[in-house]
Amino acid sequence: MLIIIGQSLISGILMGGIYALVSIGLTLIFGVMNVVNFAHGEFLMIAMYMTFWVFHYLHIDPYISLFIVTPVLFLIGVVTQRFLIQHLIQAEHYTQIFATVGMSTVMANAALFFWKADYRMVKTAYGSATLNFSDLVISYPRLVSFLMAIAITILLFIFLKHTYLGRAIRATSQDNIGAKLMGVNIDRVYIFTFGLGSACVGVAGALLMPIYYAFPTVGLHFVLTAFVVVVLGGMGNITGALFGGLLIGVVESFSGFFISPELKEAVYFVIFVIVLLFKPSGLFGLSKG
Amino acid sequence: MFLIFLAILVSVVQNAFVLHLLIMVFTSIALGLAWNIIGGYGGQLSFGHAAFYGIGAYTSTLLFVHFGLTPWVGMIAGGVLAVLVSLVLGMPCFRLRGTYFTLATIAFAEVLRILTVYFKEITGGSIGIVLQFKGGFWNLMFRNREPFAYIALALMALVYYLSVWIENSRLGYYLSALKENEDGARALGINTYRSKLVALMISAFLTSLVGSFFAQYLTFIEPESEFSLGLSIAISLPVMIGGIGTAIGPVIGAFIITPLQELLRIYISGEYQGLQSIIYGIVLVLVVIYIPQGIHKWARGIVSAKSRS
Repeated sequence: MLIIIGQSLISGILMGGIYALVSIGLTLIFGVMNVVNFAHGEFLMIAMYMTFWVFHYLHIDPYISLFIVTPVLFLIGVVTQRFLIQHLIQAEHYTQIFATVGMSTVMANAALFFWKADYRMVKTAYGSATLNFSDLVISYPRLVSFLMAIAITILLFIFLKHTYLGRAIRATSQDNIGAKLMGVNIDRVYIFTFGLGSACVGVAGALLMPIYYAFPTVGLHFVLTAFVVVVLGGMGNITGALFGGLLIGVVESFSGFFISPELKEAVYFVIFVIVLLFKPSGLFGLSKG
Repeated sequence: MFLIFLAILVSVVQNAFVLHLLIMVFTSIALGLAWNIIGGYGGQLSFGHAAFYGIGAYTSTLLFVHFGLTPWVGMIAGGVLAVLVSLVLGMPCFRLRGTYFTLATIAFAEVLRILTVYFKEITGGSIGIVLQFKGGFWNLMFRNREPFAYIALALMALVYYLSVWIENSRLGYYLSALKENEDGARALGINTYRSKLVALMISAFLTSLVGSFFAQYLTFIEPESEFSLGLSIAISLPVMIGGIGTAIGPVIGAFIITPLQELLRIYISGEYQGLQSIIYGIVLVLVVIYIPQGIHKWARGIVSAKSRS
């Protein structure tokens, strides 16, 4: 029994790493720009498809194509921000939601149109490789994603704390008018932040391919989970997103096992509502408010 | 007035496709107006309204299929259930403001969807339920579309006049106040919590009625189409486009968006799967970014600017 719990816990934490990666981008964007980006999942979808096509045509392993996919996603993010999101920053939240939902519809259906609805998988040698500790099985690709999630969080943290641009981003997120008065070019900050958030999702997409499959609406599932994680961790809080992601991964894993695989999403949605009601600033109370 | 024109239109049109389009438009308007009561007048944006729609659809259908209960009564039963469920949603969640409330409604509809799939023995799960054809007025099933169109028109008229009545009633003014500034409204002594709840209950009841009606029209229901986030968004879309917070807004929005959607689906979707949604999404994004106040207010703005010059 203990082994089952342990196994569940480990699978949960590892999957949680991926949720965390997807959510870090979202929380960064929300924290700095106060934009609810429903199309975030579609960026993940693009990253996954890109990884797939690179693997399919160029035979480059996802863990390497990561370094190609991530910058491309950064650029896509920058362009999206400059031409679409820029108009939404001052808008009402419902406008943002509708606009980003529209974007998400366009993107998901463009994927459907160009690439059809088939599920795409990347078959790698290490795809089903596992590490075994006594009776516990750790999936190798999931372990890698998890470690990457931690690494990225640490890197982001250092970036935000010690670089000029990072401080500019933090300043904008705290008080955008004040930052502007201090000489920060907040338009550039917005563009960069959106690109950065998209890049994070790009990493997540590349890392997901060995263990998941790509299809046009894959974004939807992950974006809902990402919103749960973001609220749990506190909107705008990156370490919160990391821990929130891990927590959701574990909750999903345990509820999948102890309650029912079909209900595991329902469980974390219920937790989501409970957290919203009692601690909307996030479990760790670290949100912008 | 316009309603009489529409009624005559329905009686004159023979083409099944045009009738179908009219039915889609009328139900779209009814749904949009129902949503508008809490979303537009109250300013509480719910993206979980599919929950109430689905409750209506499943309640009346299950009662109809298992007990032979006439959908006219089943509709009311569904409506009552939807009201109770709306209380479950509203009572805790109306303490939340803005985006947080919206996120909660999304989670709420998703949970209902998951539960509907889970309790397969009752709801048929993902396979859904097919309604066997049993014609006749009391079964709310007809061989041709004209009666459906009349009923849809009647539903739409009901919701429209209710909306106008609410807009000019005390509740309407309370909602308008709390939408502008909830704390200010409370300072004036308005029980904002109760106003929001009442608006939500009415909205849920009406949405559920449409859900029941549509289940009878399509004769097939399944969790994905009745409870999905896409549906919740589609419900509020005509309102957003036509002008949120007005009674005429959803009417305009639905007359524009619904035919566009259906025509795109029919003429483009076959060959080029997904293309119609791409176009639809682009239109949505453009309208939302450039005419966020809705077409009604935008048009009024143009007219009044012209009359001033």
